[in-house]
Amino acid sequence: MSGLVFESIVKKFGEFTAVHETSLTIPQGKFVCLLGPSGCGKTTLLRMIAGLEAATAGRILLDGDDVTRIPTHKRDFGMVFQNLALFPHLTVGENIAYPLRIRGVSKSDCLAAVKRLLDLVQLPDMAGRPVSKLSGGQKQRVAIARALALEPKLFLLDEPLSALDAKLRESMQIELKQLQQKLGITTIVVTHDQREAMTMADLVVVMSQGKVHQVAPPVEIYRKPKDAFVADFIGSTNLISGRISGSGKLAVPGGTLLADDLPATGDVTLSVRPENIRVTAGSGDNTPGCLAGEVSYIRDLGASIEMYLSVAGQQITAITTPSDRPDIAAGDAVSVHFPKDACVVLGDA
Amino acid sequence: MDDIKKGISRRSVLAGIAGGSAVAMAGIAGFPGIVRAQEKSLKIGAYGGYFKDSFDKHIFPEFTKATGISVESIAQPTGEAWLVQLEQAARAGQAPADVSMISQVSMLRGSAASIWAKLDPAKMPNIENVMPSFINKYDDGSVCGVGAVTWYITLVSNSDVITQAPSSWEELWKPDRAGQLGLLALVTNSFLLDVTAKTYFGGQEILDTEEGIMKVMDKLAELKDNVQLWYRDEAQFEQALKSGEIPMGQYYHDVAGLAAADGYPVRSTFPKEGGINDSGSWAVSKASEKLDLAHVFIDFMSQPEIQTLLSRKVGTSPTVARAKTSLTDAEFASVSSEIEPIIPRYDMYQQRADWLSQKWTELIVS
Amino acid sequence: MKIKPRTFSDYATIGFPAGMLMVFFVIPFGIMIAVSFFQRVQGAFYEPAFVFDNYARFLTSFFGGILGFSIGLAALVAVVSVLLAFPFTYILTRMTRRTQVVWLVFLLSVLSLSEVLIGFGWSTLLSRTAGISNLLVALGVLDKPMSLSPSFGAVMTGMVYQTFPYTVLVLFPALSRLDPSLVEVARTLGSGPVRSFLNVVVPALRNSIVSTLIMVFVFALGCYLLPQLLGKPSHWTLSVLITDQAIYQSNMPFAAAMAVFLVLVSLSLVAISLLYGKKENAA
Repeated sequence: MSGLVFESIVKKFGEFTAVHETSLTIPQGKFVCLLGPSGCGKTTLLRMIAGLEAATAGRILLDGDDVTRIPTHKRDFGMVFQNLALFPHLTVGENIAYPLRIRGVSKSDCLAAVKRLLDLVQLPDMAGRPVSKLSGGQKQRVAIARALALEPKLFLLDEPLSALDAKLRESMQIELKQLQQKLGITTIVVTHDQREAMTMADLVVVMSQGKVHQVAPPVEIYRKPKDAFVADFIGSTNLISGRISGSGKLAVPGGTLLADDLPATGDVTLSVRPENIRVTAGSGDNTPGCLAGEVSYIRDLGASIEMYLSVAGQQITAITTPSDRPDIAAGDAVSVHFPKDACVVLGDA
Repeated sequence: MDDIKKGISRRSVLAGIAGGSAVAMAGIAGFPGIVRAQEKSLKIGAYGGYFKDSFDKHIFPEFTKATGISVESIAQPTGEAWLVQLEQAARAGQAPADVSMISQVSMLRGSAASIWAKLDPAKMPNIENVMPSFINKYDDGSVCGVGAVTWYITLVSNSDVITQAPSSWEELWKPDRAGQLGLLALVTNSFLLDVTAKTYFGGQEILDTEEGIMKVMDKLAELKDNVQLWYRDEAQFEQALKSGEIPMGQYYHDVAGLAAADGYPVRSTFPKEGGINDSGSWAVSKASEKLDLAHVFIDFMSQPEIQTLLSRKVGTSPTVARAKTSLTDAEFASVSSEIEPIIPRYDMYQQRADWLSQKWTELIVS
Repeated sequence: MKIKPRTFSDYATIGFPAGMLMVFFVIPFGIMIAVSFFQRVQGAFYEPAFVFDNYARFLTSFFGGILGFSIGLAALVAVVSVLLAFPFTYILTRMTRRTQVVWLVFLLSVLSLSEVLIGFGWSTLLSRTAGISNLLVALGVLDKPMSLSPSFGAVMTGMVYQTFPYTVLVLFPALSRLDPSLVEVARTLGSGPVRSFLNVVVPALRNSIVSTLIMVFVFALGCYLLPQLLGKPSHWTLSVLITDQAIYQSNMPFAAAMAVFLVLVSLSLVAISLLYGKKENAA
């Protein structure tokens, strides 16, 4: 089958398990982000793909071929490192031509390739520059061009944009995505920045503590987080625990909430995004899906309004827009509405 | 270089003592009235290791017992560095030592610079015992040094490797000795010019002129291929000689004897042309304020009994005639020989110093 | 804003190093230069004068040849030392902290050995009677034991042995600062371990290599015991002759003239290495 497949991959450093047994399929041509807090094993996973770390157990297959034991320099994957790792003793052109030159590509072919790649990353006529004379963004592009020089099957990037300032980072995210779409190359990016992942990825792999929590497109990750970690790590959310009290009904402190896909019995946790919660003035009728609460604090950010509410002793956050802002102030009694389709049932983390 | 010499090398230790038994003399019981009692102490410069230990153990206590002068021995550097210090001290008028034991070339060099105090033979009756060739004099005939100890450099061989004892210095030139010799590296301590002159040119007269010296050097050049090691450090050659790595060469007779006594297959031969007889003299720095006590010390050291003691305990050859000593035949043979010695042409080494060292270096380096 | 030093105490802080430099370098070197122009009195000592005789005597083809040999030997020792030490240090910096500490302590203890011990050690190891050739005979490589010292090879061996730990210690900081991702990226781009070492690690540290070469060269140039203990007279360096002149011939002016020349050669090479270092920092 085409694409990159992990089969029960495990990585241990001595006693420490960096990646717990993981099986994962990354389809051909997709832009995938490995997302998680630092130390979650995402970089280790990427380095195993590149062959820079040997898997303790399991196999890695690329288009059906086992690449687990192939040394890095024979894998022909392009990789961009967090610190870019441009060769300080070479010029921009020499850096980009390095993988071609060591394969004995002729000088004129190298020059042509360098020109094509520099055009691709929008740095025309920079070939003769020493790398020390480049700005951060330019270095970034050179590192990308060098990694793409071999037209690799896989394009791996380890926190590639972390050294750039926020504004440049956002435009590079879009550029990188466009580049990937143009080339159709399977791309795997390690990042701890969820916005970056949401911007670029076709598929997000959320990890923590060496485990994969969820693999899904960004919108699904946001709307249907699989567990409390994903729900909390991606955006902000309200976690509400309760007990099944009937078909599609959940008894929570202060009342009853409705949700789809509830199991028949037991305790469950719901994730409700703040922007899906609706607040109205005056204590309501206390029907299922609506709880009585009190306003603790309101933060008006101009474009959005955050309402901090106390519902049966639990802190709930709701967000609304200026046009939908209810007429309430701190200390007011309010009705808090939890729409059925916004209540996502979480699995065990 | 210094660190090698110190402690390991017995001979340079000896030369070191020769260079500077710094003797701070003070009040002598046998000579009351010369100095006050509280000044009865004596500083003697000596190298660390075997010789300083031997002198401290066997010789200086005897002197103290006989004269009441206590001895404090001081370490002094090797080679001519001590001479340089004495020379600078003489200019400054402050002596690091009163009496020093000085090699013959250094004696001449010091004489040329007039750094030695003139000695009064009348105050040292015992120097009558010392053979005249071991008395150093200024050009005007006044005495500036008295023979302290002498030693021999002989032809040594490893008896396991070279079963037949050699009999002549000619052995060094034989083709079957290729790569087998260890010789001293400096013109001024190997005395090979004297050996070559005596062996091949009928005597040392040929060394009177530069042409003659060049002829001798040409002859000497013929044995270069035989030389495995030109050594400055004696321990290096001694080790190689004992193991048979370098089975022949020139070395100090007394040290070779000690090695043989320790059971090593080492033999020392006085060749028929004679062993090289080198010596050290007592000399007093002009800057010394204790000339009278220096006389007492030199007088004491010139006694036949003390020379006998030196031969027995330190292994040096006496500066007095053998007949005056109580050495047995075996004891005498361990430090000396009846064969007429080769006395180095110290005058040549002093007068042509730079030219000789240049030609010598060119000879062995090229 | 720059604050100018005003009071005596402002200057006092540099007084100590300046004083040390004066006492231990400037004054002795000044005296040596002065003595190098003094008049040698043959058979005695020397007299204050201003003559060029000592330099004139030095400027002959004989001493030129020895100077050439000394420089060539020191250069060869530096090159061999760096060739051995560079890959060694590279591998060492990739080992665990514990292993590094063990090796560095070991190398420091080798560095603490005096030239005398190294010279005697190697002359025994290379001897016919007790040396490694006996081991080769036992292994069947050689027919009979042979003497490997004194020889040029023995001098080289001894001097490289002496300079190796020094070289490792000089290279160690630069190599441990080297970004490991440079090698990793080279591997992802298709370079095997040896090739990435040669065309990434070596060129990335070329300035450190050049300055190390020069430092080891200067270090080796001052070596005077090992050529004597392990070499034939034709392998004696200028430092050996300086020692002979100073210690055995009491010819201080000539020894000083040769030493001044040698110091000037060393200093100019140190200056070159400093210039190189500046360029590296600027880059």
